[in-house]
Amino acid sequence: MAVPWRQCRRLSANHTSTSLLETVCHLSGRTAFLSSASWRRGPGSGSGPGHRGLLSAQPSHVTPTYNSSLTRHKFRLLFPTLQSCCCRRIHSDVKLKDPFALAQKDLNHLYDDIKKELFVSKAELKSLCDYYFDGKGKAFRPMIVVLMSRALNIHSNRDGDLLPGQRSIAMISEMIHTASLVHDDVIDGSDKRRGKSTINEVWGERKAILAGDFILSAASMALARIGNTTVVSVLSQVIEDLVRGEFMQLGSKENENERFKHYLEKTFKKTASLIANSCKAVSILVSSDPEVHEIAFQYGRNVGIAFQLVDDVLDFTSCANHLGKPSAADLRLGLATGPVLFACQQFPELHAMIMRRFSSKGDVDRAWQYVQQSDGVEQTTYLARRYCQEAIRQISLLRPSAERDALIRLTEMVLSRDK
Amino acid sequence: MRSAVWPRLSCMGWLGRGQRSLSLFSSTAPSNWSKVVSDAEKIVGYPTSFMSLRCLLSDELSNVAMHVRKLVGTKHPLLNTARGFVYDSRNNLQMRGLVVLLMSKAAGPSHAASDLLAQDMVSGIYPSQRNLAEITELIHTAFLVHRGIVDLKEWTNSDGPLKDMQFGNKMAVLSGDFLLANACTGLAQLNNTKVVELISSAIGDLVQGIYHENAPNVEESSPTDGLNVAAWEEQTFLSHGALLAKSCQAAMELAKHDKEAQKQAYKYGKHLSLGHKLNSDLQPFVKSGVGEPVSFSLNAAPVVFHRQMVGQDKWCQQLQQARTFRNQLDYSKLWAAVKSEKGVSSAVDLCCYHGNKALEAIQAFPSSEARSALENIASAVTKF
Repeated sequence: MAVPWRQCRRLSANHTSTSLLETVCHLSGRTAFLSSASWRRGPGSGSGPGHRGLLSAQPSHVTPTYNSSLTRHKFRLLFPTLQSCCCRRIHSDVKLKDPFALAQKDLNHLYDDIKKELFVSKAELKSLCDYYFDGKGKAFRPMIVVLMSRALNIHSNRDGDLLPGQRSIAMISEMIHTASLVHDDVIDGSDKRRGKSTINEVWGERKAILAGDFILSAASMALARIGNTTVVSVLSQVIEDLVRGEFMQLGSKENENERFKHYLEKTFKKTASLIANSCKAVSILVSSDPEVHEIAFQYGRNVGIAFQLVDDVLDFTSCANHLGKPSAADLRLGLATGPVLFACQQFPELHAMIMRRFSSKGDVDRAWQYVQQSDGVEQTTYLARRYCQEAIRQISLLRPSAERDALIRLTEMVLSRDK
Repeated sequence: MRSAVWPRLSCMGWLGRGQRSLSLFSSTAPSNWSKVVSDAEKIVGYPTSFMSLRCLLSDELSNVAMHVRKLVGTKHPLLNTARGFVYDSRNNLQMRGLVVLLMSKAAGPSHAASDLLAQDMVSGIYPSQRNLAEITELIHTAFLVHRGIVDLKEWTNSDGPLKDMQFGNKMAVLSGDFLLANACTGLAQLNNTKVVELISSAIGDLVQGIYHENAPNVEESSPTDGLNVAAWEEQTFLSHGALLAKSCQAAMELAKHDKEAQKQAYKYGKHLSLGHKLNSDLQPFVKSGVGEPVSFSLNAAPVVFHRQMVGQDKWCQQLQQARTFRNQLDYSKLWAAVKSEKGVSSAVDLCCYHGNKALEAIQAFPSSEARSALENIASAVTKF
């Protein structure tokens, strides 16, 4: 590639990476380390491949910067296994299954118990409500809740066993998640989810919405029965965030930095809030220490954002049907996610398309091409990795336990999943 | 800001109420519904606009309002629902909130709870009870919106462009969800998990009741579904009564009134709602106005009574006779068939029964201005 072009890009890249960085740091509050430990160090030192920081074309160039940072060092001391986990994306199957295996015994009857909560007399409504609780979901949220509960219980000098309320929250997190999926599918007009027809496709939009409302009311009743008003508040916030996040998806921001901030905020509300607040809720049940609540919340928040960033990447990298939905689905819905926003910095042509929500003929294909030519996918993946590192930093503040380490390994699963 | 916005809204509401009452409680209504309501509103202090400013003026809802303008000229039900927020009080937007406030005031201050302070009361109502009244309205409105989601597969191109319907659905889902989410956070702030559980269960009831209601455009889909009076009452309780009954009960719980007070409040809400629904189902059959086209639901109480009385065979026969050559229903023929039997008078009897049950329940509370207002409301639903 021609040198002038490179340099030109570098200049603009540095400029934007700083503002993106500020965006990220602003959002994460306590994650100042992101900038001080390694990120700023790159551009500041002015030499080496890490120079390009966030916008580096090849993530491998960034890793060395990161490797040399203090943070990395600390990680290595704390978690001897992390070196292989964090930098290379190769794992054995056994390792991947680990967090699942650890949480399994607490999750055994999860779906049966959820179905018991969904108490309806009319057979058809009952079958709609049970539709996605068929045991074929990943139960990703309940798994985090269960592992977090155990890690927190041990941290609080108890045995790991779940308190009844914590177990309820694992269930409630999956119920709230499912209710929002059912509504999202109506809003997006989706006809497939997890490889089967959506509820709206089979029973129509009207009944789908009512089923979603019913699942939510059942979740809310289960939540109330835990009998803790703080826990009720924390999880009610999630419901509000989910809707506000959906509203945020309706609009596009003209200004590039605003747009990125908007995107991350939307990502928090639509995906991370549920995980973060579920983690916080289980911490409230076992500990009265606000710092512990904050650790639980921050872990969930960072993992949740990373999870969604990876999801947005998969929309561009996964072939159709692998995700259970067509690829480039977000573009088709008019949504500009991480990879597009990064690509737009290299290809300003995307700006107009983003603003008109890819509605003109050929927009989706052209935008897809631009993203493929850009390093938007790598940069989004890199950003997801930073969020996972922060999640690890947070959870490491807890006393060691098998479940805590599983939560650390889980971040790697988030990054490496391909569906 | 309150004073700047509310007069406008309440003025519109008043206009709408006036118009409606002319057609609804026409000639002989001795105790005019709108007068009963406006008298009652004065008792509870500030006007009955429960949909909080926070909600109405939020970015989200003004976003929806902007988008809903695009639906003008289409047939999406959301348009009518939105219009109803401004003009219509037939569905008694805010009626539920008003009853919750009157009930709170009629029950009076708490004797049991030390953490509830009498000086926090405004017009004899605790702030938490006012919030509950608002939440009740939010939930009711959310389901008015969600009721109007259109099944896209049943939409034919002759009805209008599919795109409009998709867009209307999207707006309806989002705005309904937004109202429900606000209700959830509002509930959480009441700091009473019993109330959260009770009201959440009312949301579940509402869904179950609405689920089997006919969608707006497919009224004729299942004329032969055997719906008897008992089933009608059960379903109507779920779709029209449970929310008010449980909100009245919750208002008692918030002031720490005992189980008995909670039970009577629940009963009042339940019977009032059933009486009110019967009254509105009866309107097409008791109105004296001639010349207006008759239209009613085949699941309206008088029709259900009629079906049960004449039997399924005869009912099918009557339906058949009322079919025009284009396979549409001639409602005036059906109307005459229903009028010729005892369905209407049975429904009137049932309406009076529920009105009286509501009156009975409210006697458990000490005599007061608020109790009188609740009595007037209960009496009004039995007047035709």
